Amino acid sequence: MDIHQFGDWLSQTGPSQAIQASTWAIPAIQSVHILALALTFTSALLLSLRFAGLGLTAQPLPELAGRSTRRIWWLLLVLFVTGALLITAEPGRTITNKVFYAKMIMLALVSALTLWLASVARRGEKPSALHVTFAAVAMLLWGGIIFAGRFIAYYESF
Amino acid sequence: MEQSFFEWLQNTPLAVLVGEVWFPWVESTHVLFTAAVVGSILTVDARLLGVGLKNLPITQIARQLLPVTWIAFAGAATTGSMLFMANATGYIHNTPFLIKMCLLLALGLNMLYFHVITYRSVGKWDVGKPAPPVRAAGFISTVLWLAVICFGRWIGFV
Repeated sequence: MDIHQFGDWLSQTGPSQAIQASTWAIPAIQSVHILALALTFTSALLLSLRFAGLGLTAQPLPELAGRSTRRIWWLLLVLFVTGALLITAEPGRTITNKVFYAKMIMLALVSALTLWLASVARRGEKPSALHVTFAAVAMLLWGGIIFAGRFIAYYESF
Repeated sequence: MEQSFFEWLQNTPLAVLVGEVWFPWVESTHVLFTAAVVGSILTVDARLLGVGLKNLPITQIARQLLPVTWIAFAGAATTGSMLFMANATGYIHNTPFLIKMCLLLALGLNMLYFHVITYRSVGKWDVGKPAPPVRAAGFISTVLWLAVICFGRWIGFV
């Protein structure tokens, strides 16, 4: 079974048919997905800004990093569930789309970066120029992920 | 008369360019800026409601996040205007779009009241439990921004 056949099979399953039959399910799931992404972006931004020494100094970095990353993992769970529902509803638009895979690669990279930066912060190390640079790269990746998410709709599937 | 203004707008060279070529790029950028606006505002709102970032002073969170909010809002408003131009005569009859604009107006008024009236006594509630008018402002803002996302996403589905 290749990916196109898998997509065709998935789109014929009960859950997929149920979402497709509804007029409001897709925009509603997308709205939750976008909201979770917005909150993820901000959680990551608070951490990155703190790494760069910009504000939120009332909270020690190890504590802030712990809270931000816990929030990010919970939000990623919401994103995974809503994202999986959107793929189930419209497999032909996502799993055969290069922009979708670009988004997943950026997600893998930013997850690894976040884990690393959080471990640096938890050890109480003073952030170096390298850490600050990667904190900025993480924000670019989050931005890219959000952009790509919308761009999928306009990029033709293979 | 009104109709001819929107027709004129839609036929300006920029509007035609957005409509025919740039739309996917402008819309994806609009989603990115919107995520930054909503994520940062909801984070401040969580603190105003007394549910998140409780150990940080409100003034410190506001100082750090509101510049992000304003820069992102300028971007979202610019890209949003470009999207509007591309199909002005259609959007003025699009119910979710009109509701979204009313919500943004209400949010502006809520923010204005909070900053001009409520914020004067910030010294009393900067740390610790937020006062009732502070929580009310946070609640109104949270509910309306969630609605902005939902109606915004819905625009493309009618």
